[in-house]
Order: sequence, then C-alpha cells, then structure tokens
Amino acid sequence: MKWIIALAAAAVVPFFLPPGQLTVYILLGLSAMAVVGLSLLMGYAGQVSLGQASFTAIGAYTAGLLAVHGVPTLLGLLAAPLVAALAAGLVGVPILRLRGHQLAFATLALQLILLSVLGDADWAGGAVGLQGLPYLSAGGFELNQDRDYACLVLAGVVLTTLIASALVRSRVGRGLRALATAPVAAGASGVPVGAYRLLVFAVSAAFAGLAGGIYAFYVGYLAPGSFPVLLSVEYVVMAVVGGLGSIAGALLGATLITLAVQLLTTLATQPGMPSYAPSVLSYAVYALLLIAVVRYVPKGIVPALLLRKGILATLHRRSS
Amino acid sequence: MAELVGYLITGVGVGCAYALLGSGLVVIHRVTRVVNFAQGGFAVLAALTVTTLLTAGLPHGLAESLAVLLATGIGLLTGMVAIGRPGTTPQAALIITLGLGVLAYAVEIFLWGDQPRSFPGLPGSTAVLGARVQTHYLLIIGVTAVILGATALLFARTDRGRALTATADDPYAARIVGIDVARMGLLAFALGGALGGLAGVLVTPVQQVSFDSDVVLVVNGFSAAILGNLTRPGLTLAGGLLLGVVQALVGGYLSTAYQTEVALIFMLGVLILRSSSARVEEVTA
Repeated sequence: MKWIIALAAAAVVPFFLPPGQLTVYILLGLSAMAVVGLSLLMGYAGQVSLGQASFTAIGAYTAGLLAVHGVPTLLGLLAAPLVAALAAGLVGVPILRLRGHQLAFATLALQLILLSVLGDADWAGGAVGLQGLPYLSAGGFELNQDRDYACLVLAGVVLTTLIASALVRSRVGRGLRALATAPVAAGASGVPVGAYRLLVFAVSAAFAGLAGGIYAFYVGYLAPGSFPVLLSVEYVVMAVVGGLGSIAGALLGATLITLAVQLLTTLATQPGMPSYAPSVLSYAVYALLLIAVVRYVPKGIVPALLLRKGILATLHRRSS
Repeated sequence: MAELVGYLITGVGVGCAYALLGSGLVVIHRVTRVVNFAQGGFAVLAALTVTTLLTAGLPHGLAESLAVLLATGIGLLTGMVAIGRPGTTPQAALIITLGLGVLAYAVEIFLWGDQPRSFPGLPGSTAVLGARVQTHYLLIIGVTAVILGATALLFARTDRGRALTATADDPYAARIVGIDVARMGLLAFALGGALGGLAGVLVTPVQQVSFDSDVVLVVNGFSAAILGNLTRPGLTLAGGLLLGVVQALVGGYLSTAYQTEVALIFMLGVLILRSSSARVEEVTA
C-alpha cells in the first residue's frame, strides 16, 4: 500500500514541475536505478564497488555508439543494460574473488582504465566524446520532451525496483542473505557462492547500464568526463545513507542526496556567491552525510527506522 | 644509454613518492586494519599548502616542513574520525576515509581553486652516467632513503615503535601488556599523514597537483603497497620503485597516455594472483 502511494506521488510530480526541475527529477531517477543495484551488491553480496559509474558509462556509450551508427534507438536502449551486464560478467570472474578494500580498489582501477581508454579511443570520440545523439523514438513516436523522459525514468525505476525485490525474495535472495552474513556456512550448505555473487554484480551493472542508456538519449552528448570517479562515490554515498541492502533505502538515499545537493546548488548560484560555491558545497554535503551516517547510523536510515519501529511494536505488544 | 639512465632515475624518483604514500598506507593498515582512502589527500593538501607558504615568502625547507607537519595533524584528525568511535569495522572506516577524501576536495577548492598548481623544487640539473636529470629527482631519492630508513629504525629500535609493531601483530596481547591500542592507532594515522604529506611535497615540483590528483596518487600508493600485501614495508618500497620505473619506461618509449594503465593493470594483476594463492594457503592451512 505504502508503495502504491509513493508510486502515485512519483508519477504525479513531473506534471507539476517547471522544466528546470524536471531535469533534477530525471537525474534523480537515473541515480536511483544505479543505486538500487549498488545497494543490492553491497548489502547482499557484501561487495564494495567504487567503480559502479563505469557500468553507467558502458551503458551510455553502448546506446550512443549504436545510435551514431544508425541502429534504431530503442534497440540501443535495450542493448545498454545487456552490454553492461556482460562486461560485469567478464570482469567479475577474476575480480569478485577479492574482498573488502581490495575489491574497492580493483573496481576503482577498472573505472580509471575505462575512462582512460574512452579518452584515447577515436571510435568513441576520444576526450570530446559523442555529440548530437538522437532522441529516443519508438514506433514513430519521438521522446523529445523532458516530461517524456521523466515518465521513461520512472518506468525504469519501477522496473529495477521490481526486479530487485523479486531477486531478494527468490531462492537466490535467500542464498545471498546467507552469503552476506556467513559465506563459509552458506557455501557449506550448498549455496553456489561465486555464481550468486557474479549474478548480483551483473544485475547491478545492468541497472547502471540502463540508467546510462537513458542518460545518453536524454542529454544527447557523452564524454568520459560525464562519468567521473566522483559519480561512483556519489552512488556509494546514496546507497550507504539510505541503508545497504534496502531497496527503499536506495530510493530514499538517492532522493535525499539529490535534493540536498540541488538545494545547495540553487543557494550557491545566487548572485553574489563565489564561483566555487556550488562544488565546495556539494562535496561538503556528500562528505559530511557519508561520515555522519557511517559513524552514527551504520545500518543506514531506512533499516534504522524499521528497527526502531520493530522495537516499539514489540514493546507495545508486551505492555498490552 | 644516456636516455635509459635518465628514464631510470626519473622513474625511481617518482617511484619513491609512491613508496612513501604506500608506506603510509602500510603503517596505518598494519596497526588499525584500515585502508586509508584519504592517503592521497594528505599529499595534495601538503603540496597545496607549500604553494601558499612559498608565496607568503617563507624560505624553501621551512615551507615544506610546515606542510608535512600540517599533514601529520590532518592524519591524526583523520584517525580520530575514522576509528575514534569504538566498534567501527575496518570496512566502515574505509568508507569514512572515502568521505574525508571528498571533504578535502571541498576545503581544497575553497582555499586554492580547482586549477593544477606546482612550485619550484631544487633547481638545475646533474649529470649521472652521461644522462642529464633534474637535480630534484636526486633530492626525492635521497630524502626518501633517509625517511624510510628512519621509519624502519623507529619500528625496530624504539619503545614506541615496538608498541606499534606489537599492536599490529596482536592487538589483544598488546592491550594485556599495557599498550594503549587506540592511541597506537591514532599514532599510526599521524605517521601515515606525515609520509603522505612528504610524498606530496617531494613530487609536486616535477608533477603538478590539483585537488583531484589524490585518486591517482592513492591508487599508485596502493599498487605499491599491495605487492607487500599492505603489511611489508620492504616490498612496498620495491613495488613503488618498480611502478615508477615501468611508468617512466612506458612513458619514454611508448606513450605517456598508457602510464596510468600500467599502475592499474599491475595492481589488478597482483591482487588477482594474490587472491588465488591466498586461497591455496587457506586450504592447506
């Protein structure tokens, strides 16, 4: 029920937003898709990825390159998550053996390699990137309004949320939960540890890739600089703040951080503010929120709230 | 031949900076089990501080020393935030240091702007085996040798150093014999800050820094340290020098575009090989 209300609210909002804020809505939705996957990866498979934006980049470049070569845009959008998942599957075999900080640095290294390769690659436009990408069109209908993309993004968020919650509730999800808390015990009980980890990695990459694909058609311009390491860090901040392993937490984290940064950017671009104000304020917000949450609400906001609600309910039952 | 010698010396020089950064990571990781993501930030902060102090008219030497001192203090602060709260897991502490690294961006852009900066190092050039190299590279190599030697002595010969080593080997036993484990952790962070700051101060005259140079620096330091599994200082030095030399050779004979990839692929290779051999050890143990 709560989900239906949230969905209805999210669906109505774009029709009341002025064009400038629709952009924020769309970018928020794109982050939310990637963060749902990352939260699953970090919360259920216990893997820290500091390179999640590389899959956003792979999705975006897949969609962009296909469009540049005249492939129908809808096919490009479908290919984006698939290619991202395939890439994750390929690199995942060697690097998912790593744990904790090692995996964090390995994923970061992969993103730096990808950015550097894209920056040098003539076929991908080099450092200048791909320009003049077409709008997405399906069956003769061209999505050329911000509002169209807002609806598309909302559909994307709903799709990733549904897939993620189906995955969590399935046999695979139970195996993953066992794996997150006690990998050895899970392995001994017959959970195919490696295969499940790879599966979550590929799914999270597909979500990020889908976000990248939509981004490519919405913005119409791609460069290696569109997917900096900081975007990966931003995803991590959103996932950690909302609560790792919680889908609602991922959505809340993405919303909270995007709105906070947007609010501060609006403040910082007021006349009279120095030119460095927007970047200084947004870095400070990411940093302080991340540090505060990890120190004082280590499970993240949504799990902490649920826990408190559960304790209150138990107390209530006992007293009555 | 002269060309090769030139590349080797510049490579060793830059490699020394990686080794210093990596040693900072090793000191912190050994004592606290935390991988300090803000390690590159110490270097950037110290280097940018030197640019300001030199502009303010302070002489060389004093400016650099003050900047390293500042980095030591920042290292201590980082430690207090990252591990100050009892029960913080190393994983959580890694994320906190990531946050501190981003916080450093805010401070650095506020104070110094977002353009790359540099300052002059030791002027002139020296002939070594027929190759002319900037004298500053020799300074980097000399200072690194002295500092890493002093650090090794600190750990092996002083009470404080032995207490650090004891905490690294077995925190529980260290606490039983009366060592303040939490304070040792903070000390390790301060030492890590000093080593990181020194690396930044030394390398900036030959390699500009900007606020986001910390990612490349920490990745290179980590690559150096990972050769010694983040615990062995000797292998970290070897890893740093190897990395620096290979990067210089690749940059000199192939293309400077591939320099970063070399470090990254080296690191991935070592990580993956190590993980498969670690698995074998686990099985046989």
